[in-house]
Amino acid sequence: MMPLLQKVYDFVDERIDLKTLEAKMMKEPIKGGSRWAYVFGSVLLFIFIMQAVTGVLLMFYYIPSADHAYASTQFIIHEVDYGWFILSYHFWGSSAMVVMVFAHMSQVFLWGAYKSPREMIWLVGLALFGIVMAFGFTGYLLPWDQRAYWATTVGVEIMDKTPVVGDFMARFLKGGPTPGQMTLSRFFVIHVMVLPGALMGLAGLHLFLFRSAGPAGPFRGTPEELKAKTDFFFPRQVWKDIVAMAAVFLTISSLALIEPVVLLEEAKPDPGDYHPEPEWYFLFLFQLLRWKIFPASSGSSSARRRSPLRSCCCWPRCRSLTGARSAIFSSGPSHCCPGPW
Amino acid sequence: MSHPATTISSVKLAWALSWAAFWTGFPFKMIVALLLLAAQIHPWEGAGLIALLALSVPIDIWALGLTARTFFLERMGIEVRGPVGIGLWWQGAVLGVVTLGVAYYAVGATAAVCQKATAATLELVNKVIPIPVAEQITIELLMWAVPTTIVAIIFLLIGLKLFGWRIKRFAVASGQTSPAGLQERVREWDDWRVPADSILMLVSFTAVAVLLTVAFWVLLPVTTTHRHPDYPPPPTDAVKKKVKPEELLKKTDASLAKAEAVLELLEKEKAKEKKKPAGTGK
Repeated sequence: MMPLLQKVYDFVDERIDLKTLEAKMMKEPIKGGSRWAYVFGSVLLFIFIMQAVTGVLLMFYYIPSADHAYASTQFIIHEVDYGWFILSYHFWGSSAMVVMVFAHMSQVFLWGAYKSPREMIWLVGLALFGIVMAFGFTGYLLPWDQRAYWATTVGVEIMDKTPVVGDFMARFLKGGPTPGQMTLSRFFVIHVMVLPGALMGLAGLHLFLFRSAGPAGPFRGTPEELKAKTDFFFPRQVWKDIVAMAAVFLTISSLALIEPVVLLEEAKPDPGDYHPEPEWYFLFLFQLLRWKIFPASSGSSSARRRSPLRSCCCWPRCRSLTGARSAIFSSGPSHCCPGPW
Repeated sequence: MSHPATTISSVKLAWALSWAAFWTGFPFKMIVALLLLAAQIHPWEGAGLIALLALSVPIDIWALGLTARTFFLERMGIEVRGPVGIGLWWQGAVLGVVTLGVAYYAVGATAAVCQKATAATLELVNKVIPIPVAEQITIELLMWAVPTTIVAIIFLLIGLKLFGWRIKRFAVASGQTSPAGLQERVREWDDWRVPADSILMLVSFTAVAVLLTVAFWVLLPVTTTHRHPDYPPPPTDAVKKKVKPEELLKKTDASLAKAEAVLELLEKEKAKEKKKPAGTGK
């Protein structure tokens, strides 16, 4: 067994210099040693791969037309072998991805890993955050049941209130006065073509930038202490990443088994008894819509000033009010100054 | 010189080991729970819970042993030989049963007494100054929840203190102080844990992963158990009858032979009709 594996390894190594690649991948130094706090990025990549795999499997049966989307989704759930589990995993995987993005961003923010020379990583990460949210939004319509239809209607309504581009975006996505075939087609194309491509490209850039700048390391400890504890990516961090991925996989699978996807009635322009609301990660925007925080007309300068959406793009630049040094608020390259909005 | 185990707080020691052991064993328990779920057995009740608890025992023993050895070596510089996991686990289990049992009644009694006292106090206060409902609910909740939480925390600390005391005794009785430095001790411990034959380890891990994956897909129902009202399950009598190829072939042969005989007879009759002289009908 071993000589055969060695021969295969040597064959590949001779042609693509596997040893150098392996050394670059596995022997990346981690300042201060491996930590559980560093697992979120790897876990996100794992969730995305699983979403891609389950998504491709679902596409074998799903028909993106207003006449057949609902029936084909029901077919996946009720007729296709293990289809119900694949669909439920994909559904819960999307929520897990949002949770993990928040965890990853919080870790980077709290540890001050966005500071010089890692600003580009943070900015690309923000774009990736937007893509993950867009994945959740566009994927929600595809089953074409009442929940999907009305969550999207509410979501598009929220989007319409976005300053400057809101009106255009809402009209472009809807493709008509009410959500219909054009909406479904557009959401489907964005969900399975545009967003995966954008995510793969930006995730690659994110990793490239991360590798170029190197990991930030913990926020406590002198450079000498951190250097003394420096460890390679393999085996300790790899092991932690694998354990975290397994835990996430088990959690998503358990949720899929405990609460599998059950569709409501087929989408229709009358909500009936159904109380329309978006998925949980858009609920805060929905609540703002209810409170009429958004202006009635979008695009005005006052609207832009008041818009809570701008906070999503805001660079973390404030100092602590108490003046105490911390990972978030310690003096870095960024200083408290008025933002562009 | 005092033993390294005696210098650390019992509560801290017990918390460090319990916390690390819990998270070490957790993924493995999750695997068991997932397999139970795939088999449509709820791991939080009945047979599923019993199975999960029973399988958790060896996992906990292993996890406690691993984390205790690591903690003893890295933080205290003590090398412990022998079955550490089982030695600590049974003591923790006994203490857990006793402490949790007592805590269950103590916390329940505290909650009941505090709720009664709160109700009586508020009734009295309401006679003097009427309190609005929302404020009354908040005051009521605080008046019974705070003492109850304090009692629960006290019992948690007592449990940890007792467990920590047992761990210390165990470390003093079975541990030997290591003369090596921290880096050397950690390297040694890594060498003990990682098998020399890494290929064998990789193959074993892969084999277990494949086995678990196969078990998962075998146990998982093929179609959903949460059916939509418009998509009822297919009727049971619609299930196809089993096909027996030999019988089917025999039946087909018999039918063909019968058809052949009929055909032959028809052909003979036709030939007879043709042989009859023409014009006899006029």
